[in-house]
Amino acid sequence: MKMKFGKRLQQQIQQSFPGWRDKFLAYKKLKKLVKLISLAPSMLNKSSKTEAEFLHLLDYEIEKFNTFFMEQEEDFIIHHKELQEKIKEVVDIGWGANANGSPALEMEDKMEKIRKAIVNFHGEMVLLLNYSNINYTGLSKILKKYDKRTGGVLRLPFIQKVLEQPFFTTDSISKLVKECEATIDAVFPPAKATGMFHSQAGNTAVLVAGEDIFRNTVAALLTMQEIRRGSSTHNHFSLPPLSLPDSKIIQSLIVLSPIQIPS
Amino acid sequence: MEAKPALSVQRSRASQLGAFGTSGAVPPSFPFLPTSVEGTYAKCSDALRVSLERESMQHPSSVVSPSSSSSGAVGHIFASSSGISTDLQFSSQQLEGKHPRQSPFISQSTNSGESVILPYSIGSKALQSSTSSHCNNQNNGSWCTDSLPEFLDFPATAQSCPLDGSDSGIVSIQSEDLSKQNDWQDWADQIIIDNDDLTSDLNDLLAGANVAEPEPKVLIQMSKDSINYSMLQPHASQQLSACATAGQSPSSNTAPAKQRMRWTPELHEAFVEAVNKLGGSERATPKGVLKLMKVEGLTIYHVKSHLQKYRTARYKPESEEESSEKKLTSIEELSSLDLKTGIEITEALRLQMEVQKRLHEQLEIQRNLQLRIEEQGRYLQMMFEKQYKPGTDLIKGVSSTNEYPSNELTDAPPNSPPQEISTLEANNSKGGDSTNLATTYSETSRPVAGNPKANDAGMVESPSSKRTKVDE
Repeated sequence: MKMKFGKRLQQQIQQSFPGWRDKFLAYKKLKKLVKLISLAPSMLNKSSKTEAEFLHLLDYEIEKFNTFFMEQEEDFIIHHKELQEKIKEVVDIGWGANANGSPALEMEDKMEKIRKAIVNFHGEMVLLLNYSNINYTGLSKILKKYDKRTGGVLRLPFIQKVLEQPFFTTDSISKLVKECEATIDAVFPPAKATGMFHSQAGNTAVLVAGEDIFRNTVAALLTMQEIRRGSSTHNHFSLPPLSLPDSKIIQSLIVLSPIQIPS
Repeated sequence: MEAKPALSVQRSRASQLGAFGTSGAVPPSFPFLPTSVEGTYAKCSDALRVSLERESMQHPSSVVSPSSSSSGAVGHIFASSSGISTDLQFSSQQLEGKHPRQSPFISQSTNSGESVILPYSIGSKALQSSTSSHCNNQNNGSWCTDSLPEFLDFPATAQSCPLDGSDSGIVSIQSEDLSKQNDWQDWADQIIIDNDDLTSDLNDLLAGANVAEPEPKVLIQMSKDSINYSMLQPHASQQLSACATAGQSPSSNTAPAKQRMRWTPELHEAFVEAVNKLGGSERATPKGVLKLMKVEGLTIYHVKSHLQKYRTARYKPESEEESSEKKLTSIEELSSLDLKTGIEITEALRLQMEVQKRLHEQLEIQRNLQLRIEEQGRYLQMMFEKQYKPGTDLIKGVSSTNEYPSNELTDAPPNSPPQEISTLEANNSKGGDSTNLATTYSETSRPVAGNPKANDAGMVESPSSKRTKVDE
């Protein structure tokens, strides 16, 4: 049953940027260790060795997340500022250009670039948040497994600490994401009434705009939904099924993407 | 200007974390932990018991009171998760009488130069407090003689930071160089102590071997020349003065280049200002920027690497634009009308944006849920602890845990500590051991109603109504 998560995680990893793929949780390995621990009688040296290895790996993984996350975060912070500067430029010049009668095409070109940059930037950050979350979920699950298999109570205290780790304290990035969303109105023309799921737009989106990002994002949404679907061991530590109103439509977007994402 | 956003960021963070405890009982995580752990440890298996015991001992000690220690005290030392596990590891080792230097299993695990936190007391081994100057990079000394027996685990939130009454910098110490393989021995050699005041405290602590001294002022992390730490909102120097990073002074002896800074938008803002003052990213030197920024705890290495990133970011976009142009061109080929293409592209971007927003939304919701779930878990744990604290009237305690019908706890783990068992037996397994509860807590197989709000209202009730599964 939990293999579901493992499988989902793998899918997510496959969909993610190449540079990110080795930064995700080593879920399978941890699972194996838990199994080993549970098989060996608790008094044996072997068991405690494996246990130590398990704990050690947990630490290592968390370090990995933290380092990666903070690295990305730093890049995003820098990029965010640069983008804001550019937006300011374009918006200011925009008014100026129109007034002076400068070619609208050039202006439009710049705007397009800016829009694309913003959307892609937004997308990358959200994917980082997704990265953070899926790793957290994995940790939570593996700890649950551990407690279950060994009768221990590692999970609760451990998770408390995880909650405080840099990779999980994502407020900074979340804030940047929201700022991006706020900026969108300034650089996008007013939305048309056709709504979000104009199929042509979907086609183009896949072909043009931040293809990898788009694909990843859609995949992430679906993965999240799947992970939260009928898990066999629900408890009050489990998340309720994801309610994604547009899930069918989003799934249809998958069809448009060059790489098949099994759902 | 700088101080305020930083403050607000910090506060918002703290308050945000606090806000999740809608139940009203939202103690800061770390003081909470010892209580919960204390009770818990009695119930679990030996090895874990020790580790939890270790934890509970160390948590109270995790508060660094910079006000009490003089300058340079650490605001928050954020032990990396290695502290979580290695702490547990050490504890269990110690209990079993093993020599802490267990290279065999250490080398098994993947290369970690990660921070190692020494257990609070190391049995009979002589412990000397080590100042920063000597403990680094000793290859021969066994950590039993050199090491500091303290492990400080700080929550990253500023809630627990008593500095200035404000949520000042958070220091995270994290090991960075994960690719190195190290012996415990080596790790043990890397000890970072904050300052002399702390050292003297440690000496006191060392005097009593197995004492769980509630207020060690120092938390040491060891890592073989690769300790990262980061500070949040450090740019206001006043705020930072009390919150100097733990690794700061000793770090000069270790490899300071490896320490990690957690950058924030405010800090970056200060950085950019400094750079601009110095004539731009090309002209500005790390040293100059460092001086201008006046951020305590910020090293030249941080500035250097950040400056590098900054320069790259400014000049790379040009190449990005080129590639995006190519992409646009290919689309233009598809459509005869530029205008149409433009609109299509815009719509496509809009769609992409919407999907991304959706994902973000869901992630936020999910994260909030996760936090609340853990919050409830802690709360319940605390309640259990309260019930079974020594001296508490157990009958009273039991009656208030009536929500947990006894039939669900028939399989109390056999390794429950005797004291608790004897008193508990009188009450059957009602309410059980807190450990048991905690264990079965996470073992429940009943699906939870997908309504987190229900949990709020009947915090204790909802788990009980869901709990049908018993220990296997």
